[in-house]
Amino acid sequence: MSVPASVASVFRGRVLATAGTCWLLVVGIAAVGAPLLAPFDPLEFDPFVRLSEPGWPHLLGTDHFGRDSLSRAIYGARMAILIGSGSVLIALVAGGLIGMLSAYFVRLGHFLMRVVDVLMAFPALLLALVLMTLLDRSVLNTIIVIGIVYATTTARILFGMTLKLKRDVFVDAAICSGAGHASILFRHILPNLVSPMLVQASFIFAFAQLQAAALDFLGLGLPPEVPSWGNMLSEERVYVTRAPWLLIFPGALIILSVFSMNLVGDALRDNIDPRFKDDIAGV
Amino acid sequence: MVLLDIRDLDLSIARGGELLPVVQGISFTVEENETLGIVGESGCGKSLTALAIMGLLEGSAVRIAGGSIHFQGRNLLALAPVERRRVMGERMAMIFQEPMTSLNPVYRIGDQIGEAILQHRRMSRKQVHERVLELLDLVRIPDPERLIDSFPHQMSGGQRQRVMIAMALACDPKLLIADEPTTALDVTVQKDVLELMHSLQTRTGMSIVLISHDLAVIAETCDKVAVMYRGRIVEHAATSALFSNMSHPYTLGLLGSIPAHDQDVEWLDAIPGRVPTLDELISGCAFHPRCFAAKDSCRTVDPVAAAVAPAHFVRCHFPQGNST
Repeated sequence: MSVPASVASVFRGRVLATAGTCWLLVVGIAAVGAPLLAPFDPLEFDPFVRLSEPGWPHLLGTDHFGRDSLSRAIYGARMAILIGSGSVLIALVAGGLIGMLSAYFVRLGHFLMRVVDVLMAFPALLLALVLMTLLDRSVLNTIIVIGIVYATTTARILFGMTLKLKRDVFVDAAICSGAGHASILFRHILPNLVSPMLVQASFIFAFAQLQAAALDFLGLGLPPEVPSWGNMLSEERVYVTRAPWLLIFPGALIILSVFSMNLVGDALRDNIDPRFKDDIAGV
Repeated sequence: MVLLDIRDLDLSIARGGELLPVVQGISFTVEENETLGIVGESGCGKSLTALAIMGLLEGSAVRIAGGSIHFQGRNLLALAPVERRRVMGERMAMIFQEPMTSLNPVYRIGDQIGEAILQHRRMSRKQVHERVLELLDLVRIPDPERLIDSFPHQMSGGQRQRVMIAMALACDPKLLIADEPTTALDVTVQKDVLELMHSLQTRTGMSIVLISHDLAVIAETCDKVAVMYRGRIVEHAATSALFSNMSHPYTLGLLGSIPAHDQDVEWLDAIPGRVPTLDELISGCAFHPRCFAAKDSCRTVDPVAAAVAPAHFVRCHFPQGNST
């Protein structure tokens, strides 16, 4: 099957997943083309148009500093994607390594997985809060903290899957052909973990948005001047009665994006595994 | 020349703080270009012996408690892991019972065989590709050019077992251990695979250790046979000698359990009972509770292996063969 055809088959008959992908594309385009698409500078104050209603020229109104909401939302897409992919990267690499090594080297696992257990004993948001209070508010620190929080669940999942995989006969067969530990782990076991990791990635990407928004809202996430959807909610919450659109709009963006990522994650899970494909060689 | 020489191999399993012996005092040799069959019921220690030879017991509950495994004159049990990996795959290889699970599901079979080659040989991509095609052709996979890019789940059981054999043969091993290679296959496919293994042996001059519970398979393919019961070799002889003069009641029992196509019998002469579990202590001969020829001495004295003919050893007080 050619690549375009197999991509097309992912979307065939999946209206919601297709819609989700389209929305994520819109977010992606907004992130990449923010400087071109945003009608105003997202950081520029304009005291004369504070809290203006949606209309012309501020399509989505302005906040209490007179900054253009639409422009801030467009730049916010950048932050959403940056935080999402950054935490996914950290969570998968750290969590993946911890999980795989723990399952493969049993003694090491006794130690590492207990550390993971302790971290998992805290609710995700509480753990992120504790870590954030120890660090400065910055984009990088937010990414690292969210990455660490989701590295624990990733480690758990991959630990279990590696435990099962390492007992599979094909691992014995690899040992028989003279493969060493590194080769068994990364060339024989890891490829089997790619699909669960991708699915996990799509969910982490989504939850990272919620987590980042929550941290922003509590004033512990990104620095307040950074245009992010969470910061928009956080800063304008006191004006919910006077200018509700300032909360409805970024809130809707977060909900739509998280929902879309979950839909895409589900579609990925159904499609990515070669074992679920139905073409048979020789037929 | 002796290729594989196993002496007094003891394997134990740790359970609840004590060591239960699972294989006791196994000794046999495999010459170059020879096929040794190991036969016995499930749970008699056949597979564990194979795993011990390949060094696959590491990380399991089974320990090598004693004895030696010499391969080409070197004691495998004394080799460092790095040295041992160099021997495995390159000079000895193994094929497994379950062709459904012994191939990595996410690898295309061409890459999978290539991986086994690259483990020991430095080759360019093109050379590896050529070699994989050659191997697939060798194991009689039809249309290798097309199937080289397929995934294991797209192939039939017989095809997968052929791919497994191709993988094992990737570096021209001197010894191939086949643990029930045909048990999971259809009878007609079984025959093909066994014939394939035999023809490959004639071609490459390798030795084979064939593990099976099917005496008929062993009779057809092996030069020598070791019959195992509860962790011990109870009868050991050349195939022709064994079949012309079966001496251990257990071997006779195995033969009696094979349905004959030219006789219409109501009941097969199966061996009564089952293989005792590891923690059941049995005094005397381990087989006496199921043996038709058991006498008082069997219940108290454990028999030792004795020759009933030259190079034909039986561990029984009352061997049944025609020499008695």
